Amino acid sequence: MREMISELSAKLHSGEMSSVELTKEYIKAIEEANPRINAYVHTTFDYALEGAEIADKLLKQGNASALCGIPMALKDNICTDGLLTTCCSKILDGFKPYYDAAVWEKLKAQGAVLLGKANMDEFAMGSTSESSCYGAPLNPRNLDHVTGGSSGGSAAAVCANMAAYALGSDTGGSVRQPASFCGIVGLKPTYGAVSRYGLIAYGSSLDQIGPLTYSVKDAAVVFDAIKGVDRRDQTSKAFDYSSILKSLNQDIKGKRIGVAEEFFEGIDPDMKTQIYEGIKLFEKNGAEIVNIKLPALKLALPVYYIIACAEASSNLGRYDGIRYGYRTDSYDSIDDMIYKTRSKGFGDEVKRRIMLGTYVLSSGYYDAYYKKAIVIREEINREFNDIFEKCDVLIAPTAPNTAFSLNFKGASPVEMYLSDICTVPINIAGIPSISVPCGKDAKGLPIGMQIIGKKFDEATILNMAYFYEQNSEDKVGIYEGGVRI
Amino acid sequence: MAESVIIERRLKMAVTKIEIEKLAKLARLRFSDEELEKFAGEFDEIIAFADTINQSVEGGTDEIRSVGSQLISFEELREDEVIPSLPNEKIVSNVEDKDGFFSVRRSKK
Amino acid sequence: MRYEVVCGIETHIELATNTKIFCNCTTAFGGDPNTHCCPVCTGQPGSLPILNKKVVEYAVRAGLAVHCKINNISHMDRKNYVYPDLPKAYQISQYDEPICEHGYIDLDSGKRIGITRIHIEEDAGKLVHENGYTYVDYNRGGVPLIEIVSEPDISSPEEAKEYAEKLQLIMRYVGISDCKMQEGSMRCDVNVSLREAGTKEFGTRTETKNINSLNFIQKAMYAEIERQTDILEAGGTIVQETMRYDDVSDSVSPMREKENSDDYRYFPDPDIIRFEISQDKVEEIQGSLPELPFDKLERYITELQLPEGTAKQLFKYRRITEFFEEALAEGASIKNASNLITGTIYASMSTEEDKELFKVLISAKQFAALVKLLDEKKINVKMAQGTLQQMLESGKSAEEFIKAEDMEGISEADLTKLCEEAIAANPKAVEDVKAGKDKAINSMFGYIMKQTKGKADVKQAEAIIRELISKLS
Repeated sequence: MREMISELSAKLHSGEMSSVELTKEYIKAIEEANPRINAYVHTTFDYALEGAEIADKLLKQGNASALCGIPMALKDNICTDGLLTTCCSKILDGFKPYYDAAVWEKLKAQGAVLLGKANMDEFAMGSTSESSCYGAPLNPRNLDHVTGGSSGGSAAAVCANMAAYALGSDTGGSVRQPASFCGIVGLKPTYGAVSRYGLIAYGSSLDQIGPLTYSVKDAAVVFDAIKGVDRRDQTSKAFDYSSILKSLNQDIKGKRIGVAEEFFEGIDPDMKTQIYEGIKLFEKNGAEIVNIKLPALKLALPVYYIIACAEASSNLGRYDGIRYGYRTDSYDSIDDMIYKTRSKGFGDEVKRRIMLGTYVLSSGYYDAYYKKAIVIREEINREFNDIFEKCDVLIAPTAPNTAFSLNFKGASPVEMYLSDICTVPINIAGIPSISVPCGKDAKGLPIGMQIIGKKFDEATILNMAYFYEQNSEDKVGIYEGGVRI
Repeated sequence: MAESVIIERRLKMAVTKIEIEKLAKLARLRFSDEELEKFAGEFDEIIAFADTINQSVEGGTDEIRSVGSQLISFEELREDEVIPSLPNEKIVSNVEDKDGFFSVRRSKK
Repeated sequence: MRYEVVCGIETHIELATNTKIFCNCTTAFGGDPNTHCCPVCTGQPGSLPILNKKVVEYAVRAGLAVHCKINNISHMDRKNYVYPDLPKAYQISQYDEPICEHGYIDLDSGKRIGITRIHIEEDAGKLVHENGYTYVDYNRGGVPLIEIVSEPDISSPEEAKEYAEKLQLIMRYVGISDCKMQEGSMRCDVNVSLREAGTKEFGTRTETKNINSLNFIQKAMYAEIERQTDILEAGGTIVQETMRYDDVSDSVSPMREKENSDDYRYFPDPDIIRFEISQDKVEEIQGSLPELPFDKLERYITELQLPEGTAKQLFKYRRITEFFEEALAEGASIKNASNLITGTIYASMSTEEDKELFKVLISAKQFAALVKLLDEKKINVKMAQGTLQQMLESGKSAEEFIKAEDMEGISEADLTKLCEEAIAANPKAVEDVKAGKDKAINSMFGYIMKQTKGKADVKQAEAIIRELISKLS
């Protein structure tokens, strides 16, 4: 029921339905629900229908891939030639890249159909998507709650059946956390597994593009399509990946699952119970539970924010109105123009992070903050390496909480940062992780469970996730609206 | 030296407005007085959060210079082969250009 | 003079690679604005740098050529500052792990000028200010540069010029750049400070830019030394600032354009993985370097026994030395080959550029064949020069121009007879020679040359004439 891509693909390949027809269904669903849910910030319906026609031709030829003709969404920080890509920021108002991101090139070549660009926290900085200049997307499960962030729009679109799948980006949890808040699957690949060319950079050593889908199998299909080394991204790695989908299985016997108390500190007891139930399921079926310690985990948060903001402060220096985007229309000098453009164009959270990044790199503070963060990062990596000698995967919550309510006034910036504790260590270590729905809280809001693996071992975490999905009760279920085939 | 910087700051308990203005200049950001007031408070808290990096740090040496211990070999670097550039119209397609240059008026009212 | 000059030079050299440092756009000079560009070199959102292997190789060549230690592991850093010619608002450079360190250049005096480091970086675009607008062209943005920083070992304007001149020659030799100051492929910034003679502490230094030739390095330094001396002698203090040299007025003035008191917030660029160049590869590159110019000069003088003047004329142009050495390998004599090159061939080349590029229609082998005819005295010098001229113009070999009969030697007996005839026909000249007016001998050559159709060996004839004359008294 959840395997959207496989099901839809079967219909398209068999000729039961055309991609154009399917795309029209999605367009109708978006027109109906998006004004409320605000998952999409730029729709590309004409482009989608053109793509669908091309896909239909490919399908007729007979050797089309599983993704051919399937309508999907891209996060608004993934570049698309000739189509608006704004990172939900005023400073990129009107920006249309003249080049495609590597991931979009790959999907396009397979006949993917792009319905539009998905809502997000401005420049991917945030955990609720509320800092979007287009207003927050709403959690389809409960419209008074956030979708999570920063790939909130991607998660909402998939959850509400306004897209068969979506791509998001994950720097400190931005694919996994919204996936967990919306009760869907989100995968953050190993750093270097997917090309970052065309992904508008936030934290260069942390960013990775990953799929949001309803099922684990769908995540495998999409990952297979987007993974691979790219000469235009020297940080991408030539790892010998065979098809994850082809090798997808439920062999969990003898797999060693590491559980670290540090991940569960301070989370809601009800959440902890449900996740532990999930862990017990693995154990009952032959996996081995290993208790491990991750003492450096508590440092992961400040390390993450220091490194991510340092890199961001540098990456965002280029937004000055000279070559693209918004440019203020009244100024005394070019320098004045740059000050005004940036001050008006960036939102508050982006400014906070740029300032923090500037601070930790500035002379007098570099050693105490940035350099120290780099050293501790290596320490964290070493700890994970040691752990993966004893374990095949780790299981942890995806977030210490379920979806916040909108405009959660109590939260100061730092309080929001603290809620990233379960996801940021994974980005720091550059290892892969998948979030699968594993229950819901008293309010009915979804809970996510993270399965974390060692570098380039997406196969194992997907297998474990697949086993879990196929052998546990689907407490969250599929959203009732949108395209239901 | 790094430690004393942190201790000193903790004693002062504030990132001074002057420091914020210096940073804002580097980042080419301008804050109004009210914005600065609000921002200074938040920023203080954020720096205190960043300072938690100094909780007992086990191990670690000073040798690590750059991100990650990954290494790429000389052979893996890019070949020196020309790929034709994109046409000028595309390069300047996101601004109002003049004769193919990116153009900015030096002042505008 | 109360003051001692302390000077260090920072040299930026544009590398002659085909493509830019981080993208595959061409580095070719010129082109309409923004036509040698792509998302990477215009800093578009989502673009990433891809490091050019040849840039690293050329940097290593440069380092080895000035005796640097090569760091096998190196990385790139971001230097953050805001200026419209910098599309990413940071320049990718190297801060604390430069690829080459601790080298030197020796001056003629034997004094060693240390080279602190050589690092790789990217060039910025170009700004044009006109009609109340600023126009930006990123064609030059991303062109690869190396920055060579000398130790403050230079003590005079002459030394500064010599250092730069030698550096230029060495870098041209190893083929990494054409190092043309007027065209900007080599730029020197001169850091000067003064201190009281005999003291050890450094004075405040200034940096002087916009120096477009080797001569101007010397002149700019004189101007700046004078300016600083005047200030110090009046009891003032030197302000650390950037100066601009104006060659028209031969003066320096403070440069206010770029406010670079920025904190650059250097940090390792996360988009570029640390790279490693193995010691084997470094040695391979070392092995591929040509003989370095000053080693060659030394060898030409000591081993080949060339006169210093000739050696200096030859060694400056690497292609010419290759031509010369190949001719020697083919059996040409050192003396005749070198003289014909610095004589006839150089005469046919009007500019330095011509000699640098050395585009000749004949091969070293063809040249050697001609030289050997002269070596074997089958032709004389004048014939050799004339034939060489024709060869250079046509690209044809010597044998096309020299007929068999031209190569017949004049026997000594025949030559002696001609000399006797010449003496008999020029009694006044003979008297002059006997009286010590040596030049008078030339008038007798005319007769001999006419008779021998120019083939006679002048030196041989001269020897015979002198002997005959001495016998006459």
